[in-house]
Amino acid sequence: MQPFMTLAKKQVVYSAFVIILFMILIARFFYLQIYKQEQYFKASERNRIREITVEPNRGLMFDRNGEVLVDNYPSYSAYAIPFEVRKADSVLNLAGRILDISPAEIRSIIARERSGQFTPVKLKRQIDFKTISLIEELRLDLPGILYQNEPRRYYPSGIRAPHLFGYLGEVTKSELNQPEYKNFRLGDIVGKKGLERYYDSELRGLRGYQYVEVDAYGREIKALKDKPEILPVPGRNLHLTIDAPLQRMLEARMDSLQGGAVVVDCHTGGVLALVSKPDFDPEIFTKPVPVEVWHSLINDPRKPLYDRMVQSLYPPGSTYKLVLVAAALETGSITPSWKAFCPGYTWMGRRRFDCWNINGHGESDLLQAIEQSCNVYFYKLGLKVGLDHWAHFSRIFLFDKPTGIDLINERAGLVPDRAYLDRQFGKDQWPKGLIFNLAIGQGDLLVSPLQMARLAMIIANEGVYRQFHILNYLEDPLTKTKKPAQVDSVRIVGVSAETFKIIKQGMYRVCNGDRGTGRAANYRDITVAGKTGTAQNPHGDDHAWFIGFAPFEAPQIAFCIFVENGGSGGRNAAPIAREIIKNYFFRAKTNDDKI
Amino acid sequence: MMTKFEDIKVSNADYAFFLAVLLLCIIGLIAIYSASYQAESPALKDNFAKQLVWLMLGLILMGIIIILPVRFFWSLAYVLYFLTIFLLILTLVINRGNPVARWLPIGSFQFQPSELAKISVVIFLARYLAEEKRDLNKFKDILIAFVIVLVPALLIVNQPDLGTSLVFFAIVLPILFWAGLPSFYLFIILTPFITMISSFNFYTYFLAMALIIVVLLLFKRKILLSSLVIIANIVMGIITPMLWNQMREYQRHRILTFLGLEMDPKGLSYQVIQSKVAIGSGGFWGKGILKGTQTQLRFLPEQHTDFVFSVVGEELGFIGSSIVLILFLFLLLRAIYIAAKVRNKFSGLMVIGATAVLGFHIIINIGMTVGMMPVTGLPLPFLSYGGSFLLVSMSFVGIIINASIRRFRY
Repeated sequence: MQPFMTLAKKQVVYSAFVIILFMILIARFFYLQIYKQEQYFKASERNRIREITVEPNRGLMFDRNGEVLVDNYPSYSAYAIPFEVRKADSVLNLAGRILDISPAEIRSIIARERSGQFTPVKLKRQIDFKTISLIEELRLDLPGILYQNEPRRYYPSGIRAPHLFGYLGEVTKSELNQPEYKNFRLGDIVGKKGLERYYDSELRGLRGYQYVEVDAYGREIKALKDKPEILPVPGRNLHLTIDAPLQRMLEARMDSLQGGAVVVDCHTGGVLALVSKPDFDPEIFTKPVPVEVWHSLINDPRKPLYDRMVQSLYPPGSTYKLVLVAAALETGSITPSWKAFCPGYTWMGRRRFDCWNINGHGESDLLQAIEQSCNVYFYKLGLKVGLDHWAHFSRIFLFDKPTGIDLINERAGLVPDRAYLDRQFGKDQWPKGLIFNLAIGQGDLLVSPLQMARLAMIIANEGVYRQFHILNYLEDPLTKTKKPAQVDSVRIVGVSAETFKIIKQGMYRVCNGDRGTGRAANYRDITVAGKTGTAQNPHGDDHAWFIGFAPFEAPQIAFCIFVENGGSGGRNAAPIAREIIKNYFFRAKTNDDKI
Repeated sequence: MMTKFEDIKVSNADYAFFLAVLLLCIIGLIAIYSASYQAESPALKDNFAKQLVWLMLGLILMGIIIILPVRFFWSLAYVLYFLTIFLLILTLVINRGNPVARWLPIGSFQFQPSELAKISVVIFLARYLAEEKRDLNKFKDILIAFVIVLVPALLIVNQPDLGTSLVFFAIVLPILFWAGLPSFYLFIILTPFITMISSFNFYTYFLAMALIIVVLLLFKRKILLSSLVIIANIVMGIITPMLWNQMREYQRHRILTFLGLEMDPKGLSYQVIQSKVAIGSGGFWGKGILKGTQTQLRFLPEQHTDFVFSVVGEELGFIGSSIVLILFLFLLLRAIYIAAKVRNKFSGLMVIGATAVLGFHIIINIGMTVGMMPVTGLPLPFLSYGGSFLLVSMSFVGIIINASIRRFRY
């Protein structure tokens, strides 16, 4: 082996070494600049282009006559851009002082809710004008802190209806996993309950975007000519079937009660008024809700957050006797002239079943029994009809189905049938007297007040059910085009017109007969037909029910009034129906006169 | 006096080499201009003008060095070296207590002795190895060569400036080998590094050891020496992981990050990511001068100094980057060619030393901007903003041209 290489040989070795290194570098440049160019170009665009979202105006809500029920109020929230404030303690200190949040808390909010380096994180909602002007004044000292418009609701009509309108709130982490909230970010405002929730996608509108060029410090350099602004699309307005004066009156009338009322238009199924009490002030939810307030709401024993008309189930009491009447007539168990004697009680084996009138109603036929709501008559009728027919007709009247109203969390009722009772008691082990309870709307039977209103409407329309809906039509605020609500119409099969006529006659007698239990519902020349109910309640005072429709001759509205622990339906629910009649028919007339 | 300069044949000067340097300087000025174009701070805005002044000074310095006789460097070697060592110690002493001790204040002016050290070490090593009595088969002579670079390197590590100190190790091997270090010794010197790196995995370690043994057998040296090398390497392989495990977490992290094996998203790797984005987004033709968004919107810190190449990559694209790379490659190949042609051994070794410093800076700096090398803070010759390094680079250019002019003289 040669001890020394010649310089010429060394030159070759050194040159080769250098060339190899440079080839590696050139290959790397080829890889970055040609093979991966697109990817890096996108990254450089992402670096320099900041997308600024512009929140659209949320759709408003109007009543059937165009009165504004839910309006927007300009409101602003403060945001931080994580990348820009990541190191700047001075910015956080200053921002913290202005917004009255500690810098440590700002950091934790950012850590908790950030979804990207340049995606603003909401620090505080509904900052006041003074705070906005401070941020604006100290603009240069607050890089990465900004504020944006955000919908805030207010209710100019004096109608609270929190269960109906619902409220807005920030989207939660768990909601973000649902496909519906696919393009949402933490801190975004969405509808949480009621119509706000049900029609959220319509009310929401589409976000607009502005694109600006920013430098590495996040400072905006200029608007981008090649990426034009995308204007926000405002949300659609909801025109409701709600009748504002009626709603207002009912809310006021029932304010001290627990329960609620619903009034629907028989021809369309449109909801004219829907009240659930006790309720809460919807203004609470237009601001960030303090924890104490939230806790006091959810821990309130009167359960104000609960929509009693839609979400709660109760025994319907005597109002349900109408279903048994339909079953009895349709199955041929009796004719209307069939009579039963009421001494105030009856026996089933060794168990005694009382009538509500312990003095007894004497002998009565079907119409008399309905008019006076005689329990003994219906015990005996129940026995004749039997559980299976009763359950079958309960289903014909849709008591196992929700009404399909455009509100969330509506519950279907519970119709006990043979299969259900077998599960509860063991096969054929259930007591035979059970049919007595069911016949008068007690026992395991549970319905929602909304379902009872539907029963009233089906009877008024003699078998036709128009699906309940609160939305009348959607309106595009820009083009003013209208999109009416889709409303299903169902004809009940299996109940004849003859049967409906008899039931209606019975209901007429309830409100107009000499001994009718619902006489308190009438007002002036409007003839009301209805049925009272007093549902026994193991937990306290009886629940008062009243369902019905008016005018009797040509029904326009149907309604259900329900007062929790209200006692007698005739005494405590029927007078509210009278208020409804008075308000709806006579106020409307005077209004018409004015026009 | 005139006679001394008479035999300088200007026609022998390597004009192509000089032209490459000049072109690179001009590209550097353009890049610095672009990188400082939209800056608000007046200090940055002046970068271009300042660099222009430094370039003029650099060219003058280069001219002086070209004219100086080789003898001058020979006699200056010791003085310059020990002066440099003194200045390095002085820097550490004066800056005691400062976390960073790299600069020596001279009036209102800041001087970085570690830059001077690059030149001093090259000249001193060249003279040491060019002396008649040197025998690179002797262990002692090789060891001294290492000591010569180790002293300034250790002083600079303490500044702390690991990147710059590594430059000295990049000088010593090429210059030793050029001076006649037998390849067997070169191999022995390299083996511990191979073992160290491979020792973290049993298979790579086994493979490395096998390779070392095979090569040792091929050299057919004395069994004793070969066995010693093998034993040393085995010990090295066992000690390294032990030392590694003894280290604290942050120390390991620091080393891994330095080696580019671990990401550090908040710190250095942010720069590397932005640099890659800048270069990659430039594409084939580049975004155009003054039109690079990464550059103009300052997504990349240090873009006029250490990361100046990303400006070239973004605004001039693959074409521009390739031209710069080819100019650099030409420059290095040409310098190696000159070193091989120079009949004066001392001169040739100085050229190799100068080439090694420039080459190391070029490879490490460009490699860093494309994410292939750790971020060390080594500037890019002729392109990066900064006066002292430009003067050093131009001095090396002067040394190389000086040799090319006198290449036919002994």
